[in-house]
Amino acid sequence: MAELSAEELKNLKADKVVDARGTSCPGPLLAAKRAIAEVPVGGVMEVLSSDPGTKRDLPLWARKMGHEYLGTIEEAGYWRIFVKRGK
Amino acid sequence: MANKLCMTVMSGSIDRLTGMAILASGAVAMDMEVEIFLQLWGVYAFKKDVIKENMNLSEFQEKGEMVAKRLQELKLPMWYEILKEAKETGNVKIYACSTASAIWDVKKEDLEMVDEIIGAGEWIDKSKEAAISLFI
Repeated sequence: MAELSAEELKNLKADKVVDARGTSCPGPLLAAKRAIAEVPVGGVMEVLSSDPGTKRDLPLWARKMGHEYLGTIEEAGYWRIFVKRGK
Repeated sequence: MANKLCMTVMSGSIDRLTGMAILASGAVAMDMEVEIFLQLWGVYAFKKDVIKENMNLSEFQEKGEMVAKRLQELKLPMWYEILKEAKETGNVKIYACSTASAIWDVKKEDLEMVDEIIGAGEWIDKSKEAAISLFI
C-alpha cells in the first residue's frame, strides 16, 4: 500500500496513540517500539513527536520491522506519524 | 555479520557518555543487539559511588553550565537513565575491562549495570562480528 494522502490520514482512526511530545531523540522511537506490541496486526499506531529526527527515523524503523509507514501530518510544533502494524 | 552495535568506551566524560547512551538507545529501537566494553575512565564512570556525581566534560568545559541548563529545559534524562531504559527495553550487554577493574579495585557488584568483567581478547572476539563498531 502506498502512503496515504493528508485527507486520508486525517480521517484515520488509530488503534493506539503514543504521545511522545517533549521527549528527545531517540525517546519517541523507543516509545513506538514498545507501543506497537499493543497494536493488533493490521492496526494503526499514531505517534506524536516534537522531535524533528523522529519523522525521518520512524519510516526507516517501520520498514526495517516489517510495518507500513502511512504518512505524517505536520501540526504546530509537532508531527503526527502513522504506522500500520505488519507482523 | 551480526545485527549488533559494539562500542568500546574509554571515556568517562558525561558528554561522550550521553552520545554513547543515545546511540545505544537508537540501536535498541532499530532492533539491534548492543554490546559495550568499558575501559579505564569508562569503568570509573560506572562506579556506583561515581555514576551520579560525575560532572566531567571532555570538551568546551566553559559551556558545561549552559549545556546542563539546556538538558534540563529539554527534559533530557541523564546518560545513565537513557542507557538504563535501553537496557530494560532491548538486548544490551555491558562489560568492564578486567585490567581497568583491577586499577579501580572494583568487582562487578561495585559497578552500575555491568553484566561481566572480561578481557580484551574476548571483547575483540565479540566485536569482530558486529555490523557497527565504535570507539568512544
